[in-house]
Amino acid sequence: MKHRTSRSLALALVIAAAATQAHADGETIAVFTKNQTNPFFQTVRVGADNMAKSLNAKILHYIPTKPDSIPEQLSQIEDVVVKKPSAIVFIPVDYKAMVPGVEKINDAKIPVVNITDRSAGGKFVSFIGADDYSLGLETGRFLLKTLGGKGNVVIIEGVKGSLTNVDRVRGFNDALKENPGVKLLASQPGNYQRLQALQVMENLMQSNAQIDGVLAANDAMAVGAIEALDGANRKAQVIGINGTKEAVDAIKSGKLLASGDYNGFAQGCLGTMMAIRSLRGEPVIGEIVLKPTVITKDNYQPFDLSLEQRTCPSFDDASKLSAK
Amino acid sequence: MTDIAKNAPSPAWSLLSHNAAQLFYRLLAALLICIVLSVLSDAFLSLGNILNVLRQASLTFFIASGLTLVVLTAGLDLSVGANVALSACLAGTVIHQTGSPTLGILAGLLTGGTVGLMNGVMVTAMRIPSFIATYGMLWVLNGVTYWYMAGETIHGFPAGFRQIGSGYFLGLPIPVYLLLVFLAIGTAFAQRTVWGQEIYAIGANPVAARLSGIPVNCRLLLVYTVSGTMAGLASIIFLSRLNSAEADIGESLTLPAIAAVLIGGTSLFGGVGTIFGTFVGALILTLVLNGMNLLSINANWQPLVTGIIVIIAVWLDMRTRRSAP
Repeated sequence: MKHRTSRSLALALVIAAAATQAHADGETIAVFTKNQTNPFFQTVRVGADNMAKSLNAKILHYIPTKPDSIPEQLSQIEDVVVKKPSAIVFIPVDYKAMVPGVEKINDAKIPVVNITDRSAGGKFVSFIGADDYSLGLETGRFLLKTLGGKGNVVIIEGVKGSLTNVDRVRGFNDALKENPGVKLLASQPGNYQRLQALQVMENLMQSNAQIDGVLAANDAMAVGAIEALDGANRKAQVIGINGTKEAVDAIKSGKLLASGDYNGFAQGCLGTMMAIRSLRGEPVIGEIVLKPTVITKDNYQPFDLSLEQRTCPSFDDASKLSAK
Repeated sequence: MTDIAKNAPSPAWSLLSHNAAQLFYRLLAALLICIVLSVLSDAFLSLGNILNVLRQASLTFFIASGLTLVVLTAGLDLSVGANVALSACLAGTVIHQTGSPTLGILAGLLTGGTVGLMNGVMVTAMRIPSFIATYGMLWVLNGVTYWYMAGETIHGFPAGFRQIGSGYFLGLPIPVYLLLVFLAIGTAFAQRTVWGQEIYAIGANPVAARLSGIPVNCRLLLVYTVSGTMAGLASIIFLSRLNSAEADIGESLTLPAIAAVLIGGTSLFGGVGTIFGTFVGALILTLVLNGMNLLSINANWQPLVTGIIVIIAVWLDMRTRRSAP
């Protein structure tokens, strides 16, 4: 909220400021994220900034102006290979298509840490991620347990064919298989969009008199489904995925049952930590797949802080966070 | 055709009768979809679902109705979706910071209108083809909105404001009333006013329109500003209906709005089409999605079906127009 006040002012004055900020001297870490639209990548960036600050390093953010643009990320890699930062923290916009880009970084001998989406090729110092399948599975299990293993549910899917959606929905479906008493009425796509999820939910309520649970593949769609339920004066338990601020608020007020946290903040922190540690010759952890956290009304407090106020996990915590 | 504005009403009426025939086919198509759906799904013909479809169609209609005026002048406004996103985000911020929904609504309409006016200036004073001017504007708006929001979501608005998008009056959703009001105003403006007829004339033949004394640039500025303002209105409906907004909401709005205009029978070459046709176009699009959801059909098919409907609608138009005397 606070930044928007200052941005309103800046916008009124028509000042276009560059988004990149320098923190301190020391190593320069280039952080690649997929877009400026998804709040998840903002949590990654703040995590990286936060860790860099505490380790006295400098962060440069590279974000495609067109969301998830493959050519744009490729040309950003070309820029970065020329500028030669100390290290790179990298989320590929496409896990297959960006492999040649990673190879360019490898050829330039710049150490690179892969976070969030596992690249299909290239050499990395470390991989830090969470997996969508267990997020879907754990969050789905929590909903079905709350329903007492019975009732009617619907799934609102993300973008058909996208990797995150395929895995999350597979997780939901496996949670459903463990609960044969629950009936899946429909599984329809809302394309990760709030408005589409709202409309899909409105339509599904027309053809189904009783819906007890909604499994949405992200938080924006979960909140959209809640708006549809509220509008029709109906009640159902709803879960989402991503652990956004909006979802935490909805959990706090009792509207949303739970949200699976993808731990973007921790991924940003740990990715940057491993990059800096490898530069300083300290031991690193080669792979951390974070345990999914199901945020509920019993444990939302740490997530209720603004991103800037959260603290990064320490190196000792890092090994404990791994699911393996 | 060239001097519609001067010699109204008779040429205008012949234009209308062509439009009337087109409208008839479209209504028939919508009716056919309704009959098929009511046979396949018990839930379809319920009052609840009909109001549901109308309310869902309203958002597309608000964006598409302003766009229709632009397309009638043989132009195109590709920035409408991005305009909705920026207007919604600014209106939401104003409501949060001032606590006043009225100021928020004004901010949304003003943002939308200003963007539209800028499009109009690019098209008239700078003589940039509308397709390119508004395409550039789309990128500019996206850039500003992404930067402004920085990945955040604005959410949680006063209950009174929420009524606009989600409330009911005498059993009908409030967006449906707004839809009827704007349908009536839009139709009356386009068909019954001199300015409306001049817009048709500009689209049919811009040179003749200019020679016959129509202030072409003024009318063009007007249609782009109206299109932008309607995007601003849509942003208010979006905000109050969804109770939140983020930077990327516009992407999924532009193409359905263009599809509604085309399915509704408005020609991209200008001069032919109606606001009512656009309403029917928005209705057909909504019915398709509603039907797929009710029948639990794998919705991978939805974009495919929409594409086919657009192609068939335009093809039928071209055929009937060629054979028309």
